[in-house]
Amino acid sequence: MKVTTHHRLGALALASCLTLSGCMSSGSGSEGEAGDGPITIGISLPLTGDFSEPGKGVQRGYEAWADYVNDNGGLLGRDVELTILDDQSNADRVASDYEKLINQDGVDLVFGPFSTRLVVPAAQVAKDYGFLFVEPAGAAEEVFTQGFDNLFYAAPAVADDHYNYLADAIEALPEAERPKTAAYAAMDDPFAMGTAYGLKTRLEAMGVETVVDEVYPPNTTDFGSIAAKIADSRADVVVGGTQYQDAVNMIVSLRQLGYQPKMAAFSTAPTNPEFPEAIGDETEGILSPTGYTPEADYPTNPEFVEYYTEAHGTAPGEDEANAWTTGQVVAAAVEAVGCADPDPECQGQLIDWLRENEVDTVVGPLSWDAEGRPEGAHLIQQYVDGEIRIVLPEEAKEADLILEKPTW
Amino acid sequence: MSLFFQSLVLGVLLGGLYALLAAGLTLYFGVMRVVMIAHSAFLILAAYLAWFFTTETGLDPLLSLVVTVPLFFVTGVLMQRLLISRLRPATLTMMSVLLTFSVALVIEGMLGFVFSGTQRRIRLPYSGDSIDLFGANIAVVKLIAFALAAVSLGALFLILKKTQFGQALRATIQHPDAARLIGINTDRIAGYGFGLGLSTAAIGGTALALDSTIYPSLHWHWIGPLMAIIVVGGLGSIPGAAIAAMLLGLGQSLLQIPLGTTWAQTLFYVALFATLMVRPQGFFGGRLAQRF
Repeated sequence: MKVTTHHRLGALALASCLTLSGCMSSGSGSEGEAGDGPITIGISLPLTGDFSEPGKGVQRGYEAWADYVNDNGGLLGRDVELTILDDQSNADRVASDYEKLINQDGVDLVFGPFSTRLVVPAAQVAKDYGFLFVEPAGAAEEVFTQGFDNLFYAAPAVADDHYNYLADAIEALPEAERPKTAAYAAMDDPFAMGTAYGLKTRLEAMGVETVVDEVYPPNTTDFGSIAAKIADSRADVVVGGTQYQDAVNMIVSLRQLGYQPKMAAFSTAPTNPEFPEAIGDETEGILSPTGYTPEADYPTNPEFVEYYTEAHGTAPGEDEANAWTTGQVVAAAVEAVGCADPDPECQGQLIDWLRENEVDTVVGPLSWDAEGRPEGAHLIQQYVDGEIRIVLPEEAKEADLILEKPTW
Repeated sequence: MSLFFQSLVLGVLLGGLYALLAAGLTLYFGVMRVVMIAHSAFLILAAYLAWFFTTETGLDPLLSLVVTVPLFFVTGVLMQRLLISRLRPATLTMMSVLLTFSVALVIEGMLGFVFSGTQRRIRLPYSGDSIDLFGANIAVVKLIAFALAAVSLGALFLILKKTQFGQALRATIQHPDAARLIGINTDRIAGYGFGLGLSTAAIGGTALALDSTIYPSLHWHWIGPLMAIIVVGGLGSIPGAAIAAMLLGLGQSLLQIPLGTTWAQTLFYVALFATLMVRPQGFFGGRLAQRF
């Protein structure tokens, strides 16, 4: 019994020491002047659990960015050092992780985690401490309606704006050449529906009539009936708010019913390397928005692709690019303001600077509205001569947009 | 009108596929009172084998049946003799849920481990082809799947009705004690019955692979509707399952026109609840396992 009490006292003492030293190190961090010691950046990521695959992608992106910065003279002349915790894809855990990073570890800056579900609780903690919060994933509308004044989404566009360049291109056509009718089928998922309905809103404003509007649950495997409705409507345009298997199954079902649209756009699936293997030669003319492509020639992108490919042997994907973008955005603010410490005044200046300015990143120039929504649009890719290429916008295109889709 | 007719045709084709996929499930229950949660996992396994066969050899996926049907039959016999027959008869039905649930998890995990989680689809030269029938399009792949269903269900029916093995199997289903009294080795017959059920999974999985994108966890989407079908059709009755599958497939396809996909999918569960409330022994099977 006595021993236990001793142990308890010992543990308490040890815990107090740890807490104290934690507080002290955070104290010394905020007092530190530029030039002494590394800039510490706290991050929590889902390295295990549901989001572990994209979570690891984001980790690779963050680490590549930190290595690149350190190889090139650091930030404000100081090295950057990442502290990455694993939140196990758990929303409670992510909040306590950021609490610990800011409070105990005394990090100078924080970067966001992956996905809407984890971004929201993490951003709340950052807001409570007045920290700037730039996040690489979390495009759903609910991220931007929680009243976060410290949040910035480091990607070109929220889901609703993914098709903006395509909508602009259609709007630019003479009225007689524009499509007259459109059919929409979207998975019951905030991201997938957001993409399709963003385009629907734009097309309806142009007077394109909606003839089919179907929402299907994520577990749908048979697309025969949905395809029958779309085929029966003979819509000029078919838009799929899709992930992967739903798009592939829907396209095959549409072909089986002999439906030939003038334009076909599906989110996510067509950019997947498996897609042409599944569909075969009939991909020609299929459109898809994409947030990132290694081929894009935005100022810093070739450098990023080269650096990343050299380190990992493969070109970076969208998760890696968004993580790198997060680093670029924060670094731009830090360089411009000239401070990187947890002091609310410094963090406030960083936030204010990002509100006012545009940042050049690997996914293009980014600027944000008051809620942190990026004000860009996604690149539009299309299968041209059997390969997926950027066709919109005009200044980034690799091939000409095919307006009249060949038969599939 | 043309949309209605097209949906009718699609519904019949879908119903045929459902009947094939559900046939094995009802057979296990008839023979052994086993609720086989892993049936749909074996369907996906067969679909993966068909996909693997086609990508490796370039031959038509239907040829993979030559290998998968005997393989699944032997697997079924072994699974019954080595695993399921070890369960205590008093708690067999409930424990079989747990046991086959774990088998489903093992299959899903192995598929993910061997073939990765990437979603696959067999690329067929005729995947988009269709035949015109009075203005409706019948996809060739769906027609092949329907033909596979018709042939296998017909063969299953003949085996059960016309062969000595079939008589012994039916006797085992109807009254195991009496069957043993007249000299039927019910253990061995039950093993073969289980193998027969799993052979239908090989055919069903290949039919499924012709016209869908497959991934390891896909089986969870199938087990619910298939369970609903065999309950509505009367547990243990193959014709009952076939009729229920056809009606539910047709109903789902036609209800989609006015209600949309989300509500059309609830038809299965509405039918399940209605059956359990009104006629728990099923609408078409009559008293459990008394007829074929």
